[in-house]
Amino acid sequence: MEYRFNHLDRDYAIVIEKHDDGYMAIIDGKQYRIDEFRQYSNLLVFRLDGILHHIRYARHKETIHIAAAGEHYSFDSVKDQKTSRGTAVEKSDSVSSPMPGLVVKIPVEIGDHVIAGQTLAIVEAMKMQNELPAPRDGVVKRICFHEGEQVDALQVIVDLEETES
Amino acid sequence: MFKKILIANRGEIAVRVAQACHELGIATVGVFSTVDTGSKHLRFMDDSVWIGDSPPQTSYLNITRIVDVAKSTGADAIHPGYGFLAENAEFARACEDAGITFIGPGSNALSLVGDKIASRNTVKKVNVPIIPGMEGSSADIDDFRSMAETIGYPVIVKASLGGGGKGMRIIRSDAELADCVAAGQREAQSAFGDSTVYLEKYIEKPRHIEFQVLRDHHGNVVHLCERECSIQRRHQKIVEETPSPVLDAQLRHEMGEAAKKVITAAAYTNAGTVEFLLDHQRNFYFLEVNARVQVEHPITEMVTGVDIVRQQIKIADGCRIVFSQGDVQQNGHAMESRIYAEDPHQQFMPSPGRILYLNEPQGPGIRVDSGVYDGWNVPPHYDPILSKLIAWAEDREHCIARMVQALEQYTILGIRTNIDFLSRIITATAFRKGDYHTHFIDDHEQRLMPKFKHQRVALVGAALISLTGKRGQLSSKSAASPQTTPWQEVGRWELSGD
Repeated sequence: MEYRFNHLDRDYAIVIEKHDDGYMAIIDGKQYRIDEFRQYSNLLVFRLDGILHHIRYARHKETIHIAAAGEHYSFDSVKDQKTSRGTAVEKSDSVSSPMPGLVVKIPVEIGDHVIAGQTLAIVEAMKMQNELPAPRDGVVKRICFHEGEQVDALQVIVDLEETES
Repeated sequence: MFKKILIANRGEIAVRVAQACHELGIATVGVFSTVDTGSKHLRFMDDSVWIGDSPPQTSYLNITRIVDVAKSTGADAIHPGYGFLAENAEFARACEDAGITFIGPGSNALSLVGDKIASRNTVKKVNVPIIPGMEGSSADIDDFRSMAETIGYPVIVKASLGGGGKGMRIIRSDAELADCVAAGQREAQSAFGDSTVYLEKYIEKPRHIEFQVLRDHHGNVVHLCERECSIQRRHQKIVEETPSPVLDAQLRHEMGEAAKKVITAAAYTNAGTVEFLLDHQRNFYFLEVNARVQVEHPITEMVTGVDIVRQQIKIADGCRIVFSQGDVQQNGHAMESRIYAEDPHQQFMPSPGRILYLNEPQGPGIRVDSGVYDGWNVPPHYDPILSKLIAWAEDREHCIARMVQALEQYTILGIRTNIDFLSRIITATAFRKGDYHTHFIDDHEQRLMPKFKHQRVALVGAALISLTGKRGQLSSKSAASPQTTPWQEVGRWELSGD
């Protein structure tokens, strides 16, 4: 069985095969033995090529959160490889809030010519104001929020005209 | 002694204060906003009252409402914690007018030291060195410009009513001045409800060293030695320790006496912290007085054995400080790591959301002051601090070892936190040697980037979790019970066909 995950904008593939006395993981063509696999509430224990690991985990929707030896990972299940690229293209034509927060200022208006890096919106979360810059030069096509409105993570706040090229 | 105290705060500090109250046999009233209906701090209160909608302006900054609640619940004192209204003289005065004791300095002392401009002028009079800068604020950007030219760039803009780095901006050239002042004013307005900012000379790569002072209503004043808080990101402390690796007995004595002079000159009572910058030549400059219990107060408690929140309550009640300066000893070494809901890989962007799994560390010398629990939905409206991890040991090296192990144990899943980032700070060679300053994080950016050394193990773990799917989750419940051996569980899982 093959699993695909995305972690920090990188895709990873892993195959797990069942064998008589345990499992085998295959990553980038290399095989690793998995033995003594046990699963508890939020805890996995297994040996990988003989080395014992304790991993804490939690699942939410398509994301598996992992803590391994003090490091924290969030793996998103990748169903279709195009998804991650699709988002990237969209991003260059709009500004969205990376986190839930309050839209405190939108210093541009529809039809404004803006340059890359210019602040298109200021969103406040946890007392910190974050200036969201224009991803490229362009013209403001749409403003989706009013100042003072609450915005969710990844919601588009300002749209730019599509590029002519 | 007080009968009932209203705690005008939330999160870990509200929990901390409630515990101190109960130890003194005092009942507690908690307050909460709409989004905080299920907040952890309310579990530590004898009574709790809703005070308004989620935004801080309508809830934890709502002076009238909070004082009304104190009156209606029969509280005879209010503890403001830190942040929110803790250093708001108007709030202290409203309490005084209502006949309720404000646990902190009186409103007059608070106006004086809480206002950084006024406090600089007070400090000058008692010959404690200060950093050159504006004597007062101004609405005119040209006043900022001419002061910047007089003292020379770089300069820093600060919120007059502020603390915790909110409203602060470093300005390196005239071209940045207007934007930075405006941004500082906006942040100050939003964080403290007052947009007043001022300008001072910016000292490159200093160490941030502060002294905890207690002063009672009978004129007794003691300091509880220093805390070094030089590890900061965006001007906000994230790791603090005591003793400082660079102070010797002589400098400690000089700075401690200077701190006491400042507090006495301001006719300040209760617990306060005098912050200094220490430059490369070991000159110290007064920075500001923090007129509240500090986030990092636990490390002082660990090495001096003095319960600072308990002292705050007793001093407010008119008790005398029963020990003298000579009784204060630093025993061992303590360190604090602040756990924040933020993503160090994305410029420390706040990361509110639901905690899906929480494992707080335990062990010898380990203390966790926490405001969250497993399943809590961390709201986006307030400060991103989740908890504080404090380690104590008989020396610095051992203290670091305990902190490293505790950080490794500390697991918060579902939201992003700075836990592994803190680990990389504590294990950095320069930090271990005590060789650091307030720009440590910027200077060691590469070293502090995530290594993801255990990526393969994590990936295998994610695949195994996907493999077991829902059936794995169901049987994991019984796996927790001691009657079932883990091997029986494994036997039940099979590869699904698709």
